[in-house]
Amino acid sequence: MDVDMIFKIAAIGIIVAILNQLLVRSGREEQALLTTIAGLIVALMMIITQISSLFTTIKSVFGL
Amino acid sequence: MNVFAICAVCVITAVISLAIKRYNGEMSIIIAIAGCVVVLLSVISYTTDIFSQINSIIKTANIKSEYVAVLIKALGICFITEFSSDCCKDAGQLSLANNCTTIGRLLVLITALPLFKEILNTAVSLITMQSQ
Repeated sequence: MDVDMIFKIAAIGIIVAILNQLLVRSGREEQALLTTIAGLIVALMMIITQISSLFTTIKSVFGL
Repeated sequence: MNVFAICAVCVITAVISLAIKRYNGEMSIIIAIAGCVVVLLSVISYTTDIFSQINSIIKTANIKSEYVAVLIKALGICFITEFSSDCCKDAGQLSLANNCTTIGRLLVLITALPLFKEILNTAVSLITMQSQ
């Protein structure tokens, strides 16, 4: 079981939130937004491979 | 897979997702979906044993194995569409979730239509046998 991925995504979320706060406080709203989007994309790329493997497993198990 | 471990992963994922939600709403949904995927991936491989057992039972009962294949296919479609629908519901998109469920029903119906045709053919042959 790949539980590490959940913790990794949680860590990415916390780091992105802290960076977002820091950048907003120092008056760089655009960079804060870009940081949030970058974190989101990284987390999505991590989860998409897992979802793809889940779907291929279901495809092979259920004979779809 | 230990059932306690799975339950623990579910609860821990829920808590982490709730903790992140205040600071980063999108990431909380991604964490929830990741938890679902991890738990399902760890369990789904056991279903092959169940299906092989069911197939052997069906073989001893002298029922056509195509019927069971259709049943299992419908089960898989329900599984995937329900999973996606729940993910959409978690993200707060109820219309997408309902669309997913409707499409799943449609696809299950399409998968089961050949069986329905066969039932109709059997009924028609019975009726014609009685009328002769």
